[in-house]
Amino acid sequence: MDNELTEAQDRDDAPTATLDEQVLDEQLIEEISIDGMCGVY
Amino acid sequence: MTVAAAHSVLDRTLALHPQVALRPEPFGALAYHYGTRRLVFLKHPDLVRVVRSLDRHDTVADALIACDIAPARRPAFATAIAGLLDSEMLDDRAR
Repeated sequence: MDNELTEAQDRDDAPTATLDEQVLDEQLIEEISIDGMCGVY
Repeated sequence: MTVAAAHSVLDRTLALHPQVALRPEPFGALAYHYGTRRLVFLKHPDLVRVVRSLDRHDTVADALIACDIAPARRPAFATAIAGLLDSEMLDDRAR
């Protein structure tokens, strides 16, 4: 019984931790080099 | 980009550089600097909202609050804005 409760709590916690990690790892910008396109325009 | 550099940007008064154009894209926006010819993807619409609102707020922190950016996401936004400052997409402006 106690084990079932502990497992249920663990499952409840898991998605929250994953979401927090995703938020902290959010990469919001990406710089693109266009040096190789100099001959195009 | 250090954590300190990203954090220090929160008190800055910034705006989009006058030579930068933002083009809306499904993922967010594409920023092009006509002076340096640099190109940066802004990969979330929330970041685009924040960047467009910077000239209406005294600090970056004020802009993040006004745009309802959750506290847990603000460090990532500060890092992104510090990166945009480094690449000259954003510029200091007088308050």
